[in-house]
Amino acid sequence: VRAELVRRAFNLASGHPAFLIAAAIFAALTLATGETFLTTGNLENVARQVSLDAPVVFAETIVLIAGGIDLAVGATMATAAILAIGFQNFGAPIATLVALAFGLGVGAINGFLVTRARIIPFIATLGTMSVARGIMLTYTHQQPLSGAIDSFTLWGGGNFGPIPVPFVIALALALFLSLVLKYTRLGRNLYAIGGDREAAYLAGISVNRHLFIAFLASGFLSALSGVLLASRLNSATVQLGNDTPLLALSAALIGGASLLGGRGAIGGAFLGILALGMLGNGLDLLGVQTDYQIAIRAAILILVVGIDALAANFVKLRLARVRFVP
Amino acid sequence: MPPERAGSMPTTSFSKGSVSDALGSQRRRKLVRALRDHSAVSLLVVFVVVGALSSDVFLTPRNLLNILWAVSVLGIVALGQTVLLVSRNFDMSVASVIGLAGIVAVLAQLAGFGLVGSIVAGLLTGVLFGALNGFLAVATGANPFLITLGTNALAYAASLALTHSRTLYTTAPAFNELGRGKFLGVVNYSVVIFVLLALVLEFVMARTVFGRSLYVTGLNAAVGRLSGLSVRNTQFAAFILCSVTAALAGVIITARTGSTVGTAGVGYDFDSIIASVLGGTSLFGGRGGALRTVVGVLVLGVLNNLLILLNVPIDSQQIAKGLVFLAVVWADSLMRHP
Repeated sequence: VRAELVRRAFNLASGHPAFLIAAAIFAALTLATGETFLTTGNLENVARQVSLDAPVVFAETIVLIAGGIDLAVGATMATAAILAIGFQNFGAPIATLVALAFGLGVGAINGFLVTRARIIPFIATLGTMSVARGIMLTYTHQQPLSGAIDSFTLWGGGNFGPIPVPFVIALALALFLSLVLKYTRLGRNLYAIGGDREAAYLAGISVNRHLFIAFLASGFLSALSGVLLASRLNSATVQLGNDTPLLALSAALIGGASLLGGRGAIGGAFLGILALGMLGNGLDLLGVQTDYQIAIRAAILILVVGIDALAANFVKLRLARVRFVP
Repeated sequence: MPPERAGSMPTTSFSKGSVSDALGSQRRRKLVRALRDHSAVSLLVVFVVVGALSSDVFLTPRNLLNILWAVSVLGIVALGQTVLLVSRNFDMSVASVIGLAGIVAVLAQLAGFGLVGSIVAGLLTGVLFGALNGFLAVATGANPFLITLGTNALAYAASLALTHSRTLYTTAPAFNELGRGKFLGVVNYSVVIFVLLALVLEFVMARTVFGRSLYVTGLNAAVGRLSGLSVRNTQFAAFILCSVTAALAGVIITARTGSTVGTAGVGYDFDSIIASVLGGTSLFGGRGGALRTVVGVLVLGVLNNLLILLNVPIDSQQIAKGLVFLAVVWADSLMRHP
């Protein structure tokens, strides 16, 4: 019975590495910082920071589940942030709508390039990333913009009691997207397409329409992150979003997604970005210099990716052995 | 350029016409195939014609040499990236290896090494990171894109730690000559290095066992293994070669500016892949070549030069470059799935 329990615990843990990683980082930081990490003010800070990045991580997760990759998430997010600040002359609602519409536009173009023009997602989104950055540079002439509407700062900077508004938004979004991915035909089809596109097509799923929707959702969610970020900072610069593809991919992979598609979950991705957010905050609290922080993050990414690959190889080997038994 | 449909013209004289038409359509089909195979060359020709028509300055030797000078560093990185892409791998760490190699070269000079010593030190940085990339990607079988994104951050962290975020200046005058001087007073050294490297790599890829095994590895690693090739060693060597060319580019950039910048290589990761893909190297391994990449790099260089000559604002040039890139990959995709 005990062996069975251990085995079950192991299975559970290996199925949810994001939870283990997040818990380990949480425990380590609590011990290492001598409780400063656990103060309400700091936790609120972490929650806010994580929530701003959450939509863009969900965006990458959805595309990864469908078997694609989106390198344009950072550029989309940054340009949306710039537009949300730049269009404030027309009022906050219009500015927000313009930013979100831009995200939908980028998503639609990515979807078109992948499904109609049949360009692989890596290359297609690399191209749109370049164009989106160009639009941003042209629009701003590389000058930072700052906002003028106070009510706009509520979305990223406001609070419900001790809970930051963006955290509530991110949680609601996570719940909604999880339900869609788990319990609707659209969501199940996305997993099916990512798992085996050919089989999904033969099973009668309209692969192109679903891929298009995945990229559309990715563009929209990236822009949403941009709007929240602009609201939080009440300004926007062209430097925003440079590291976002790396961050979003890391968080999604920690959360159980795979570059091969067909795997991943919104909950895991949320834990992934939470782990990375806590880590960054904790390293700041510990006074670790920027260069070492970058190195630590890089080492974690390499570890996660390497272990994921080794585990996949291991499973493949075992399957092969089973298959060769006469 | 739309692919021309071969042989469907109605002919008046039946007996003779059909024979000559068949011959003509065969020739036309060959032409279409050649265009398909070398879409970057056609694009380069179009750009050069547009440049010659729209600007008096474009075709002057000085401007053409300028274009070569401007693309030579990217070209050196792209050549290494091509070798790696052919073996079905990526290297995103070139961006920071470029910066780090320059920093190491300058640190070597500050420590008293001369021209050769500092260049060797810079190149050794490339060997080190190439070996790290190769080890991580080959030993774990993990996705090279993400592994090298990680090592890219490591290299950046190392350059921050080594310089304490300060700018360091070169001390060897001969070193600066490498970046600013001209071979026989005509062509910049970086251009000479770029051209020589392209020729050597073209020979290596087309005519040596290592080169051929790169293609086999990229096309089908299992087949390569079964035919007795050491797939792992080939990939490992390709990673080292790519990092060393990036380090070489970093050394040249530092020699040009006379000072170090940790972010000198930002953008070279994607740009080197874009140049390779424009030239016709496949992202899925097994297709491509050094001379193709030279054409791809020249397309980017001529486009850049045209945008400047036509007074397109610098911030909008990125849009044009992205659109041209998308147009080329779209055309490529149209020809592959007609």
